[in-house]
Amino acid sequence: MRNRVSRRPLTQVFKFQRIQEIGILLILFILSLFLSIATPTFLTSTNIFNILRAFSWIAISAFGISMVIITGGIDLSVGSVMALSGLITAMMLRANLGDFLSILGGLLIGAFVGFINGLLVSKANLPPFVATLGTMSIARGFCYGLTGGWPVRELPRSFMFWGQYDIPILGIGIPLPVVVMIILGIVVSLFLNRTVWGYKIYAVGGNEQAARLSGINTGRIKLLVYTLCGLLTAVGGLLMTARLGVAAPTAASGYELDIIASAVIGGTSLTGGEGTILGVLIGAAIMQVLRTGMVLLGFPAYWQPSAIGAIIILAIMFDQYRKKKMGLLR
Amino acid sequence: MKRFVLIVSLLIIFLLMSATAQQPKKLVFAWIPKALNNPVFELGRDGAFKRAEELSKQGPYKFEILYVGSVASDATEQARVVEDVVARKVDGIGISCNDPTALIDVINKAVEAGIPVMTWDADSPKSKRFTYLGVNNYEGGRWAAKLLIKAMGTKGDVAMLTGVPGALNLEERMRGFRYEIKGYPDIKIVTTVACYDDINKGVQVVEEVMQAYPKLRGWFFVGLWPLFAERGSMPLWEKAAKAKKVFTVAFDTLPVELQLLKEGYLCGLVGQKYWGWGYDTIDILYRRVVKGEKFPDWIDSGMDIVTKKNVDAMIRAWLLKDFKTPLPPPF
Repeated sequence: MRNRVSRRPLTQVFKFQRIQEIGILLILFILSLFLSIATPTFLTSTNIFNILRAFSWIAISAFGISMVIITGGIDLSVGSVMALSGLITAMMLRANLGDFLSILGGLLIGAFVGFINGLLVSKANLPPFVATLGTMSIARGFCYGLTGGWPVRELPRSFMFWGQYDIPILGIGIPLPVVVMIILGIVVSLFLNRTVWGYKIYAVGGNEQAARLSGINTGRIKLLVYTLCGLLTAVGGLLMTARLGVAAPTAASGYELDIIASAVIGGTSLTGGEGTILGVLIGAAIMQVLRTGMVLLGFPAYWQPSAIGAIIILAIMFDQYRKKKMGLLR
Repeated sequence: MKRFVLIVSLLIIFLLMSATAQQPKKLVFAWIPKALNNPVFELGRDGAFKRAEELSKQGPYKFEILYVGSVASDATEQARVVEDVVARKVDGIGISCNDPTALIDVINKAVEAGIPVMTWDADSPKSKRFTYLGVNNYEGGRWAAKLLIKAMGTKGDVAMLTGVPGALNLEERMRGFRYEIKGYPDIKIVTTVACYDDINKGVQVVEEVMQAYPKLRGWFFVGLWPLFAERGSMPLWEKAAKAKKVFTVAFDTLPVELQLLKEGYLCGLVGQKYWGWGYDTIDILYRRVVKGEKFPDWIDSGMDIVTKKNVDAMIRAWLLKDFKTPLPPPF
């Protein structure tokens, strides 16, 4: 993007290094390589799909939040929206409204909370941090209030199919949530890179003033990204609920940090204007590989948070260093 | 004229109502859980209401329970709730403290205002509360180990799943478990994993441990987190549990777990007496306030030990909401 790519003359051999995501991809690769050697279980298909499934709902929500962050915003309500959308669907299922309506209901509630976020940010001019902090609390309160604290259980098998089914391809079972994640990743990526809407999203984050002066309705763009973020988060929430077969009002507490971290590790800039879906996917993968790796290694649970934090900082530092050297950074 | 009649009749009704309300003296006890969003406290609340109803029937006092608390576990918010009930001049307080030190000040203020305070489930030992009704988590952990050894034998690798590392009650359970296991040199605790009280993370780490330790013989779930998830979410654990390759003991005795025990996924449960949290607390407050009885510093609330042998009795207790009948022995 822009002109900084061609600032430094590079030999053709190292051309691939100019790809934004190569740094974090390398980190993911090194991590996986290390774990494959250190543990006998890491490189089994069961484990790989286990990891992929575990971060699929985080990644799907992170696709949404990366769009919000690209416009220079933030959405803290994603964890609560994941829980609320799963809960609404679960409650509708228990009320025998059928799979289709229930899933639709859950998705719409997610999109609705996102839409409210968008309105608060674009029309009421609230800082995104404050607006979504408020909706985060409101949505969580609804989860508690609607259930009285009890998890909603005994969901129909036909719904749990979405989270638990493995599609047999070439003799190995690929979990359905992983397939959904990949499809949505491609769709969102195309949306961001191949449509006028996508171009406008980057423009709003790059320089909002300039975007407005060039005739872009920045308010409408913001409304769009927050709504899409809510919708995608709801997809994640539903898949998680389907996997577990239970919708707990306390589900996904604190996941907003994981989701934001995935986007940021994946190269999405918190100041806006930068970020790719492929990067977000790799970011989410790094987080989960780290977590699973710690368990497989038998790393003491009490030290795990520190180790994960340290590795994330080191990874980002490495990525920044690489970009600076390649002349990719201003 | 019409309006005058209306006002007078309303006044008379009001006076009558307050007169009838005043007849038996009313005692109000505040029953404060750690959080309103945690379902286990609801059973305690029902127990509290039950005991209040019984005592009211018995006379001569009427009893009212004030069920209040912070929505989520939050010591600061809970302290504010205590201040509120002190301002309402309740006759007694039973509280499960979110933090032992953060609540000292408000508890002491309540006691100084002449309101007796007792703690249940979670204590604040340095405050002026008159007693603590609680489970001995350390003993609970030892029981869990005994149940597990009875099921899996005296040899093999075991793993533990905890919630938030550092939570005092969970640490105590694990300490008791480790102590009991130490007596069996052929049993090794190979790993301890944490799920941060999250069902999703619980399911994930259990499956990861099942992969990393294929020879695992036993599990101690220090709480029931992953068990809330439906079957099909932990395929490796479920398969091993069904095939009697891995044996699992868990804390708590909620209906979900009883069902799993009946189906053969679990081999034992160690449960707190949630019902008693409310029922016994109100009883103790009543005896203290009305009869002026003295109580020791700590009252052991006891535990429910559930195995295949007495699981049906426990299921019946939940169905009938009757937790007063003692359970048959577990072995």
